[in-house]
Amino acid sequence: MKKSSITLIAGFAFLMMSFGLPEGDKTPWEIPDEYKNMENPYKGDKGLDRIGKMLYAKNCKSCHGNKGEADGPRAKQIDVPMFDLSSEDFQAAYNDGEIYYMSIIGRDEMPNFESKIPDDEDRWAVVNYIRSLKK
Amino acid sequence: MKKFTIILFALLIGAGSLLAQEEKKKDKPVRAPFESGILIDNQTVIVPTKKTLEFVIEHRFGEIKDHKDLWGIYAASNIRLALNYSLLDNLMIGLGTTKDQKLQDFRAKYIVFEQTRENTIPVGVAFYGNMAIDGREKDVFGKDYKFSNRFSYYAALIISRKISYGISVQVAPTFSHINKVQKEYEHDKIGIAFSGRARISPQSSITLQWNQPLEIEGIYEHHEPALKPKANIGIGWEISTSTHVFQMFVSSGRALVPQYNMMHNTNDFFDGGIMFGFNITRLWSF
Repeated sequence: MKKSSITLIAGFAFLMMSFGLPEGDKTPWEIPDEYKNMENPYKGDKGLDRIGKMLYAKNCKSCHGNKGEADGPRAKQIDVPMFDLSSEDFQAAYNDGEIYYMSIIGRDEMPNFESKIPDDEDRWAVVNYIRSLKK
Repeated sequence: MKKFTIILFALLIGAGSLLAQEEKKKDKPVRAPFESGILIDNQTVIVPTKKTLEFVIEHRFGEIKDHKDLWGIYAASNIRLALNYSLLDNLMIGLGTTKDQKLQDFRAKYIVFEQTRENTIPVGVAFYGNMAIDGREKDVFGKDYKFSNRFSYYAALIISRKISYGISVQVAPTFSHINKVQKEYEHDKIGIAFSGRARISPQSSITLQWNQPLEIEGIYEHHEPALKPKANIGIGWEISTSTHVFQMFVSSGRALVPQYNMMHNTNDFFDGGIMFGFNITRLWSF
């Protein structure tokens, strides 16, 4: 009886602790200066709209959602908190070079897309499309 | 004939390398004319980037006949599992194993050159070849058995054209050879394989194939071959993500190693000889 009570209390304590665990890695992105100072050579290039949309749908949508609101079908399985790409906070906080770094180079659960999107023009098309998600 | 073929391929490869070197600076290759290296039963002009491993699952259910076997879903199926690896950005090698005839196959695909965005090279060209080994008991091969009885081969010169953002087509003259066939059957077959896809959304496309074995009397071994194989026709739907491609379709070829469809397919697409099938590919980059 005593043993089962201890087990029950330990189980309950573990359950409570699990609610209190930190919700993923919130450390700020460390973006190299090279990317911070990078100019977007395709800024405003409307010819890339369809390419950006296609690449976003293929590579990003499953986690980031249709409109970038971090509500894709896989979003719940991601441990690290995701940006709402459509929010003013995100759009104002990062320049194009920084979005390029976060989208293409990645870190942790945000995968590296260098080999999947090898062409630089296509990478900027993704950045432009993320810009177009702004509410 | 053999010498001529070797010279032709050497010239094509050489011309491709030269063209690629000259045009690379000016004009980039078109963006993915197809989503994957496979489209229903045909190879496409796609090779994943260097150091990519691809796992392929190909599955064909039984013929669609009636509801008793759930239109072929419960019937005996054919399955192929394969691994491909890109040694270079334009060279892939692979091996696979297939349930029917316990076929073990080895394959290679080389992109000779790619279509470019400004049309300085108007088409993409790739060469694909495979060799398969029939792994069944040796009794199947009859008297005077030799290990080479198990071998079969397939070669295709794939020529593709991305017509627009959403539409790509390709045509491939093919050559199939099976070392040991039934009496009165042909050992060789020349064919032509058409494939196409029409994008219907950023991630999905309608896919088509028509693989037609050609009846060329001049190369018949027999006065009248006992089997004139039927075209392997397929229509389907493809969805792609960054690392996966899913293809679902109905088609009339059951074999998963192409020479066996080109040489022995008896299913008539327009007379009920169709089956459900799917392909799944998964990529890992190293």
